[in-house]
Amino acid sequence: MSLDTPRHVKYWQRCFKSILPHHYTSMDSSRLALGYFILGGLDLLFSTLSASVTTEPLIPKADRKRLRDWILSLQHRYGGFCGSPHHVFPESFEKGFDHAVKPAADDTENANIAATAFALLMLGIIGEDREGVSAFRGVKRVQTLRWLRKLQRPDGSFGEFLKKDGTVGGGKDMRYCYVAAMIRWMLCGNEIPQDGPDKPRQFQDLDVDGLVGHIRRGQTFDGGIAESSMGESHAGYAYCAVAALSLLDRAEPDGDNKYLKKGIRDIPALVHWLVARQFIYTASEDPESESAKDEPELSALNISESEGYVTGFNGRLNKIADTCYTWWVFGALRLLDKAQPGTAKAINRAPSRSFLLEKTQHPVLGGFGKHAERPPDVYHSYMGLAALETMAGEDGEEGVSLFDAGLCISSDAAARIEVARRFWN
Amino acid sequence: MSQQKRASKAKTADSTGASKEPKTVYEDALHTYYLTRPFDRAYEGHGLDGMSAVDKQGWITQQSAQPGVIEELSKKTQKEILKQVSDLGIPVRRAHIKPTPDQWGKDKHGRNIGDYTLEERNVRFTKQSKLRKLTSASDRFRNRRDLVLSGLVDGNTGEPFTLEDGAVEKERVRRKEMAALKDDLYGEKRNSYSMDPDWDDVVPIPQSEPEGALAAISYPEDYAESMSYLRAVMAAQEYSPRCLKLTEDIIFMNPAHYTVWLYRFSIVQALKISILEELAWLNNVALEHLKNYQIWHHRQLLIDHYYPSIADAPDDIKILANSERDFLMQMFAEDAKNYHVWSYRQYIVHKLSMWDQVELQSIEGMIDEDVRNNSAWSHRFFLVFSNPSYATEDSHSTEHDPKVPAEIIDREIRYAQEKIKLAPQNQSPWNYLRGVLVKGGRKLGSVKGYVEEYVKDLGEESEAVRSSHALDQLADTYKEAGDKEKADLCLRRLGEKWDRIRQGYWEYRRQTLEV
Repeated sequence: MSLDTPRHVKYWQRCFKSILPHHYTSMDSSRLALGYFILGGLDLLFSTLSASVTTEPLIPKADRKRLRDWILSLQHRYGGFCGSPHHVFPESFEKGFDHAVKPAADDTENANIAATAFALLMLGIIGEDREGVSAFRGVKRVQTLRWLRKLQRPDGSFGEFLKKDGTVGGGKDMRYCYVAAMIRWMLCGNEIPQDGPDKPRQFQDLDVDGLVGHIRRGQTFDGGIAESSMGESHAGYAYCAVAALSLLDRAEPDGDNKYLKKGIRDIPALVHWLVARQFIYTASEDPESESAKDEPELSALNISESEGYVTGFNGRLNKIADTCYTWWVFGALRLLDKAQPGTAKAINRAPSRSFLLEKTQHPVLGGFGKHAERPPDVYHSYMGLAALETMAGEDGEEGVSLFDAGLCISSDAAARIEVARRFWN
Repeated sequence: MSQQKRASKAKTADSTGASKEPKTVYEDALHTYYLTRPFDRAYEGHGLDGMSAVDKQGWITQQSAQPGVIEELSKKTQKEILKQVSDLGIPVRRAHIKPTPDQWGKDKHGRNIGDYTLEERNVRFTKQSKLRKLTSASDRFRNRRDLVLSGLVDGNTGEPFTLEDGAVEKERVRRKEMAALKDDLYGEKRNSYSMDPDWDDVVPIPQSEPEGALAAISYPEDYAESMSYLRAVMAAQEYSPRCLKLTEDIIFMNPAHYTVWLYRFSIVQALKISILEELAWLNNVALEHLKNYQIWHHRQLLIDHYYPSIADAPDDIKILANSERDFLMQMFAEDAKNYHVWSYRQYIVHKLSMWDQVELQSIEGMIDEDVRNNSAWSHRFFLVFSNPSYATEDSHSTEHDPKVPAEIIDREIRYAQEKIKLAPQNQSPWNYLRGVLVKGGRKLGSVKGYVEEYVKDLGEESEAVRSSHALDQLADTYKEAGDKEKADLCLRRLGEKWDRIRQGYWEYRRQTLEV
């Protein structure tokens, strides 16, 4: 079975053009995330399609200005981006029976770290000129970087937003570390003239060593990575940790992946844990319970070569298969390959690919569901494409553009950002 | 002569007799239409040539009498026609637009109002007129209140304007009635905010967004309105009971709203709301939204805020610890692997020093229930190796902690081994076993005998393996002892037979063995 490209294109075009159904309401604060998946999905499907079907990009040229304006309308006046229009406050507002106009109180907490990363990625995806020179025009670069610096806690970790009292809000979450490293790389945070004796209070880069140290503490006794050393290992956190380090390395091209090597205590143990996320998928899984009920049978592992079988991935031990974990695991291994060559090919591609194409690709609507026979959603539909392309390595997956496993966007869009980050007005 | 009478006179001339007693709004309107144009039915039914001579004459008279036509005729003919009009009882004024069945639109159920019976129409009229009366009474209330707030003096009495006793309460009832009528008549759903006089001083800040914005969501009906009120009170930094209620409404619709929780916490602090009450409220929200993460962060903030008040009262701490544990177990009954809940459990153990046997037994109970619950295994590792009564503070989970007593290491090794026996292919206790050995600074070789029980006659005809994880661990055990050949055999057999799906990985491991 292969990727049903026309159906996926239709799925993403539907998401692009129409209003998302009401069950997305609980994602109202993450509109930029939804938008990133939609634009990213169209972008990933375009390049191969272009030759045969259409020369007009799937994200129409005519729409790009409006999209850009919309994204920039979510930029917070003190830097960073807000998660959705509901989080953008006017500078003044009316109050009381007499509608007296008052200036809005400080709302610094509306700028959100994840939203900021998604906004920048989207600006790269829709960059109008191929080179990407103007993609970041209008972004409050220095303010955003200053704000980002304030989101870092003394232990090196990052929070989600800045509270009114100046303290960091949000839980401890490896995802914030990843997006922080992403924002820093995209905005060239390490290349701005630093605070020094001649330029006091000018600018301060992130505490990179602190961040690396925090990530290093996240590896757990079973080799995986959690939000802290004593937490339960989670494939999503493993990817975020590895990807954050890879982006710190990316900012220093001659650094020989020093952060990746330094930030993971035991890479072989992590690889061991990651490859163990793969298991033979049987249709008897009950997605309702979200945990594998039956004893994994040794006989199920003892399969003969000729047998066609399908392998899914879980995010934690003894949980069920989920489309997105195929991506998180393959993505992490692909990035780890730089520090530990050979890991990218440690997993068999064919049965993993079959799981996505035969089980979770939706045969009618296009897109991918979380589990087999589930309706597609934008998150899993994007991660499905990401996984297919990443596991294909240099061969590439027909129908999907080359993918940048560290930034989680097409290589074309990543190349535009590579240029955009160097051009500031 | 009344129009009705003229019409009935004219009706006798209508040879088609098509008109019957109207039953619906549409029929009634149609009936009235034809009453003003008595020959149209015959004309429409038969055409000019098919009409009876009487009808034909009547229809021609009717058409000729139309304004714009009759003026063109000679005075004499005009006179004649007007006489005929009078004789035939043709109404002088007539309806110009023929009713159509859907001109009244649809009601909220999608039913054509044209299909309503006359009685149903009357009921609807009555409701509409009631709504008009209520609306104007409500307007009077608002005007009056504006006067009161303006501080102006009533010219008739010389006193400042006042609201009558109970006026606000009456207005509240009135708006409820209005809301019910609007819903009933037009399906217009309004939640309490714009309908509640207590919120009249808040000018909502609606979301402004260009048309065609990306990833727009079709929000539930009252979500957008509640959100616009939330934005207004957040911008004003109002911390009041009504705002607390508003945050609850938003949270139930969208618990992932990242700033509403922060705002709620500020209100709780400002109003000095009992933390235990807020926790009880939060329990319901958590059970309603199992997957949400903000709920658990909010809970942490509450506990952090509350703790200092009981820090010197061990009994109170114990009571809180027990009630928290009870609630967590209720959450685990819904989903025994909920990541947020497990993270919170670590937090609360730390915070309230729940390093006792009760906690350990609670976890054992969960592992007994499902030996494959990896979250429970992780929590056990945390409990055993972070216990401040013996463990080194901040000792990393992957490093040897010489302070952990040997009996505890022994106990945990035994525990893992017992559980492996129950399900040899379950990786959780295997990982746990290795983790314990590292913590204890012990070699893999120290449990080699146990692991070898799961692997028989490796590389031989009679080879039997009961757990691929045993074989995996043996590979490392032999490597540790310097026996590369045997380690390689384990890895080879894993790829060849016992764990073929990871063949690529085992091959890769074999290569690293040689380095």
